[in-house]
Amino acid sequence: MTLPKRLLATHATKSVGPLTGIRVLDMTRVLAGPFCTMLLGDLGAEVIKVEHPARGDDTRAWGPPFKLYEKQVGAIEGVTSKGGLYRQPPLFKGESAYYLCANRNKHSIAIDIKVQQGRQVILDLAKESDVFVENYVPGKLAEYGLGYEDLKKVNPKLIYASITGYGSSGPYANKPGYDTIIEAEAGLMHITGEANGPPVKVGVAVTDVTTGIYAHSAILAALLSRVKSNVGQHLDVSLMQTQATVLANIASSYLVGGKESSRLGSSHPSIVPYQVFPTKDGSICIGAGNDKQYKIFTDAISRPDLLENPKYATNADRVQNRDELVALITEALSDWKTDDLVSRLEGSGMPFGPVNTIKQTFEHPQLVARQVVKEVEHPFAGILKLVGPAVEYSTSEVGVRLPPPMLGQHTEDVMRSVLNYSDDQIESVARSGGAILYDYNI
Amino acid sequence: MFSTRIIPRTTRFRTPLVSHRYQSTVAPTTPAGKTLGPLSGIRVLDMTRVLAGPFCTMLLGDLGAEVIKVEHPARGDDTRAWGPPFKLYEKEVAAIEGSAYYLCANRNKQSIAVDMKIKEGRQVILDLAKESDVFVENYVPGKLAEYGLGYEDLKRVNPKLIYASITGYGSFGPYANKPGYDTIIEAEAGLMHITGEANGPPVKVGVAVTDVTTGIYAHSAILAALLSRVKSNVGQHLDVSLMQTQATVLANIASSYLIGGKEGSRLGSSHPSIVPYQVFPTKDGSICIGAGNDKQYKIFTDAINRPDLLENPKYATNADRVQNRDELVALITEALSIWKTDDLVSKLEGSGMPFGPVNNIKQTFEHPQLVARKVVKEVEHPFAGTLKLVGPAVEYSSSHVGVRLPPPMLGQHTEQVLRSILNYSDEQLETTVRSGGAVLYDYNLPAQDAFDLPSQ
Repeated sequence: MTLPKRLLATHATKSVGPLTGIRVLDMTRVLAGPFCTMLLGDLGAEVIKVEHPARGDDTRAWGPPFKLYEKQVGAIEGVTSKGGLYRQPPLFKGESAYYLCANRNKHSIAIDIKVQQGRQVILDLAKESDVFVENYVPGKLAEYGLGYEDLKKVNPKLIYASITGYGSSGPYANKPGYDTIIEAEAGLMHITGEANGPPVKVGVAVTDVTTGIYAHSAILAALLSRVKSNVGQHLDVSLMQTQATVLANIASSYLVGGKESSRLGSSHPSIVPYQVFPTKDGSICIGAGNDKQYKIFTDAISRPDLLENPKYATNADRVQNRDELVALITEALSDWKTDDLVSRLEGSGMPFGPVNTIKQTFEHPQLVARQVVKEVEHPFAGILKLVGPAVEYSTSEVGVRLPPPMLGQHTEDVMRSVLNYSDDQIESVARSGGAILYDYNI
Repeated sequence: MFSTRIIPRTTRFRTPLVSHRYQSTVAPTTPAGKTLGPLSGIRVLDMTRVLAGPFCTMLLGDLGAEVIKVEHPARGDDTRAWGPPFKLYEKEVAAIEGSAYYLCANRNKQSIAVDMKIKEGRQVILDLAKESDVFVENYVPGKLAEYGLGYEDLKRVNPKLIYASITGYGSFGPYANKPGYDTIIEAEAGLMHITGEANGPPVKVGVAVTDVTTGIYAHSAILAALLSRVKSNVGQHLDVSLMQTQATVLANIASSYLIGGKEGSRLGSSHPSIVPYQVFPTKDGSICIGAGNDKQYKIFTDAINRPDLLENPKYATNADRVQNRDELVALITEALSIWKTDDLVSKLEGSGMPFGPVNNIKQTFEHPQLVARKVVKEVEHPFAGTLKLVGPAVEYSSSHVGVRLPPPMLGQHTEQVLRSILNYSDEQLETTVRSGGAVLYDYNLPAQDAFDLPSQ
């Protein structure tokens, strides 16, 4: 990067993050892709999110819950409206919580790639960008002249990341990717759920999210590579391969040891008790990892009989008599309120943790102390609470700088400031329908 | 149980394995058309154990970094003993056997057996820190500082060092000193509450997903810090924790609560607002059906020859199906119970409705897509024969990223590292070994330039 980049005025901050000065052109939608580009934005990159002019990212409509607007969206017809090429923005019920979780630190432009001038905007932006991220079915963007080879021609230093369900080659390449389906196909559901129950999915789209995290790290690696090589490259990230990786020791047990895995509920295959037990008013996870910790546990719940019985004396004994012991402990703990049990076990030296709801999770003293929840001001929806970046950096500035954007909120700004389009050029693009200018009146 | 037979320490020094100071990584056998890995030339000093930390440093190794894994001389990484299953040795060696657990997270590393309780051992770490770019550890906060190996200590010898601490709960806060366990944190940080059947208990994810995701996140933070360092020319301290990673992974579930006040709950395999979008049992297994809209639902009912399930106005639109969920799910369950999974898969293939069989681990790695993409890599282990490992998840068009080295034997590279990287003389080596600060194990392997092995 030899010339200083024209950065958006709204992007400029005093802080310097690892990706300050890097521009990301983002054509992803839904979760895995936007989560990836959000993480790049957290690190200081300028992220330009390309959205379909009419409905934008699909997740804008996914709710409830929505954060209702506190201010009127858009201009008042004939009073504050700019008129001419400016249109009233599309109205949603509010900002969907789903959309809000994965789209901070981005600018939104409303572009229609079916229109030639719209595609030209993308090509012009690709020339000014360092990274391009997309999650269309393989080959789709190439049909629009926006494939890797096309963008590489205008910008050989561009890092082009494709996020798909199954990868950009292979018999399943054209299958659209869904987190739930891939959790089934790639072994995760088979191993999740009760031993005598059906396979279940993870309560959050973990494959989507992990793929987003992995994709952003591959982009960081490619940027590092580019420091020396001075060229870009194509990255092929998929839900399925990410999921296969996340199987870790479960995969290894099979590939190296020939051992198939199965559902265990919350239990540990070779340690007892190491699982969730119901309490009077919830559930608690007990992790008595060895005999010493087991004694601490039986003392704490005033059940020395559960230790004195030779059937439960050592871990090997407890594993052998698992069902019996689990039933006894279940009975013992059913008398306890979760909070009382937590107080009793705190600082005892035995690992444990209550099964917290989402509310209890974000009220957890540790997450509160570490200020994990951040607040950001949204121009129409008031104050938003978002989960901040997971890693603390001692030097680099990493954090929530911008609220998730409204649909096409920055179209004109980007065309002027980044592409240096003149008034005439902007008018031409808007008239063609390649870009839509929404009048948000902010 | 395994048997540990540790070879007596040797004070006999063979000729140096490499006569030159170890150069920064150059991979002479980078495949044609590929450039050096993104982290070639970067050295990582790795004091992590178990899963999250080793997974992180393994990913750095995949990207071409030279990773030096510091292990306790007697037992090494705890996971070496975690099995069965073990990959039994095909060649004779006296050592702890290679557990599948250890093997999954430790390729592309060299192992040195160093005891940091001994002053000469700590000196080895300090000397290596001076020659490294990245230091990763997962001790309880403050532990390494007691040994003079905390961030401030290492920063003094190497201001450019990136020091990453991976903990359960973070390096400060009321829970900072609590050891971190994936299962416990899945409970504490909301994941168990939302996983399991609706009318069943909370369950954990079948793999230690919080550990693994934290490892992935940690490696990306290290990459970000390396990028930062290109401009700033200084290192920094990174604070990564299972709990904060898990809170992040809650994504839209977190958002629904924080922004919408809506609590999460268990749904089994169902979708809150689409029916049918869940797992159904088949005659011989399970299948996940994803009829995301009315068009796809019609495809489904046609495919299973049950037009009645569409014609009935109670199930005509998605809204109707959601309203009559329990009834319809029972009917579909009955309908699919007569199908074998393979037959159903054949029928639905290419139909346009999203679906997928619930595959076990064997079926997962026999999945035509993973086979076509050669996701499973083979690497030769000096004693355990050919190992199958899951290769890196991302394909790079230019950079060479892959499995170069098998997971090391405990302390396999101690002498090599001390001589080649630290340039220790015979005397220095002898002093360090006699003190117990480092232990030399005689594996009777040929001299090995770590990056001479063919890479995949």
